[in-house]
Amino acid sequence: MPDYGQIPVGSGTLDARLILGLAAVLFILGAVGVLVRRNPLVILVCIELMLNAANLTLITFAAQLHNLEGQLFALMTMTVAAAEAVVGLAILVDIFRVRDVDDVDQLSDLKG
Amino acid sequence: MSLPQVVFWVMAVVAVLGGLGVVAFRRPINSVLSLVAVMLALSVIFLELSAQFVFAVQVIVYAGAVMVLFLFVVALLGPVRERSTGRVPFHRGVAAVVVLAFAGLLIAFITSAGIRFRAPEQASLAVFGTVQQIGAGLFTTYLYPFELTSILLLVAAVGAIYLSRGGQAASEVRGRELRGPGAAPATDANEKEDRRA
Repeated sequence: MPDYGQIPVGSGTLDARLILGLAAVLFILGAVGVLVRRNPLVILVCIELMLNAANLTLITFAAQLHNLEGQLFALMTMTVAAAEAVVGLAILVDIFRVRDVDDVDQLSDLKG
Repeated sequence: MSLPQVVFWVMAVVAVLGGLGVVAFRRPINSVLSLVAVMLALSVIFLELSAQFVFAVQVIVYAGAVMVLFLFVVALLGPVRERSTGRVPFHRGVAAVVVLAFAGLLIAFITSAGIRFRAPEQASLAVFGTVQQIGAGLFTTYLYPFELTSILLLVAAVGAIYLSRGGQAASEVRGRELRGPGAAPATDANEKEDRRA
């Protein structure tokens, strides 16, 4: 049974497992950032990092399966990420207009 | 090691170092610039995986437009001192446990012989990932998701304009915080004086 995980690229091949591992590492880094960092702006940046890692897996499987749908959904993910960044940054700017926030835990006014 | 593998390893190292920078840098602007490095490295890997159109979109829209938006906001808000610890107790411990469990799961899944790939479908690789194919996919099979994303973008644009417009409410709250409570009637008097003058 041939190893379908080898993606032919130009003159050689790439192992799909390596690329998926890279995506996993990037996703974990983003998750660590969301959990550890306190600055709301940096948390948004870390979410973008996680979305990029997910995009990498989509495109890896698209190349491995010779199926274009992964690339199409990577484009959709980019659109969603752009919308998320725009709305998140607008909310941040609105909050910072009223007061300075150096810790997301300070934003607990809705907690009753 | 063939040339594609060398390129992949170089870009993988750049991406991981950039990801570390995103998490580790104390100043937000350094985090944003690290993320730009990650995105450019990933775009090269996209190109290797014959995703030409996604490569172009990643460079132009993502690294170009979205990250410039982030840079604008960082410059607008100015430097923010970040406190090292949150209010939640044993916050870092919980984060470490969650991340270690998740990392162990993912790495075990990827490196073990357990993962089996399906056989690739029959497709002509000469045109795979070109703009024509992407366009044909977006405007035939996936027309409705495509239209939905355009509506999503419209909603996001309208929402962002509404939120960041800085209407009466935001400036009122800001003024009240600056003057402190009890100073509100003075503004009314000032406004009346302005009107009289």
